[in-house]
Amino acid sequence: MNRAGTIFEAKSVESNLLAMTKNRLLQACAMAGVALTLWGCAGSGDTANYEATDLAVVLAGPLFEGPNQGQTQFTFSLASALGEAFEPGMKVRDARIQSAEVLPGDSLGFAHVRSFVLSFASDNPDASMVEAGFKNPLPAGVNRVDLDVAPNVELGPHMAAGEVYVVLDADLDEDYWDGDRRFLLNLELNITY
Amino acid sequence: MIRTMSLWATMAVLALGTLSFDVQPQTDPGDKLLGVWEPSNGRARVKIDRIGNKYYGRIVWLIEPNDPETGEAKTDKNNPDPALQNVPLKGYRMLKDFVYQEEDGTWTEGTIYDPLNGSTYSCVIKMTDENTLDIRGYIGVQALGRTDVWKRLVIPGRR
Repeated sequence: MNRAGTIFEAKSVESNLLAMTKNRLLQACAMAGVALTLWGCAGSGDTANYEATDLAVVLAGPLFEGPNQGQTQFTFSLASALGEAFEPGMKVRDARIQSAEVLPGDSLGFAHVRSFVLSFASDNPDASMVEAGFKNPLPAGVNRVDLDVAPNVELGPHMAAGEVYVVLDADLDEDYWDGDRRFLLNLELNITY
Repeated sequence: MIRTMSLWATMAVLALGTLSFDVQPQTDPGDKLLGVWEPSNGRARVKIDRIGNKYYGRIVWLIEPNDPETGEAKTDKNNPDPALQNVPLKGYRMLKDFVYQEEDGTWTEGTIYDPLNGSTYSCVIKMTDENTLDIRGYIGVQALGRTDVWKRLVIPGRR
């Protein structure tokens, strides 16, 4: 009796599991259908390269051993970037960094800089500040630094905000009390619209 | 006549003085958050800056700056994005995107990052006095969270 009961219970559990699996499969299919529909509505999107060059980054002194924040900003407009190709209703869907290059902005070059970190921010309340590139450590004796960029980081919400804050943190190996440090930044981004 | 003109001139100077006093730049009330703060465990110091209309806090000092295994400066090795795991931990922004709320004097909408496990939590900051912060990290609802008390790092002779 007990054995029969156990078998019955086992069969019942098995059939329940099958039913649950079927339900989950159906749910998954339905969700995939919704996702495909949304993707279809969104379209594949066109892309364009955008360059922001000679951005002057100033680290305001006095500066201390450790990470110091430098900041600049630029204004992005899809209409200006696309020119005649722009059509009303077009908007930024995504943006990814392709490259970031740092050049010296004063006679000190990269002296006493151990590393750089590049971040993007904006006043868009729905977008969080993100790190998009770095170089750690800096190679010795160079006169330009190509940052290691993170192409998976989504910058679209910041670019869509228009006013983009670009933050370049420089980690210094000693204090610098004699004024500011300056660098120039060249950025290349891939914009999907 | 001369006495009357002198009186008018004095009043004009006083008025101009008042005007020039009135056009002093106003500081944003949310800016009282700016400064260097130390969490309760004393293992790090975080400098809070403002970028645009949001507030951010980055690690500027670590009690143990080097990884004991490698002897090298610690990096953000638990970052969920492998491309960013070699970013130096010193300088990392662990507080992001806080917006000051005039109504209740808190900073909200932000996140706090725990480099020990690479997790990011919602966060609200409340200033209990000018040198003390309640930093509450939570998932989902504030009631299910944890509060840490941070103290302002006061440099002698400076506010």
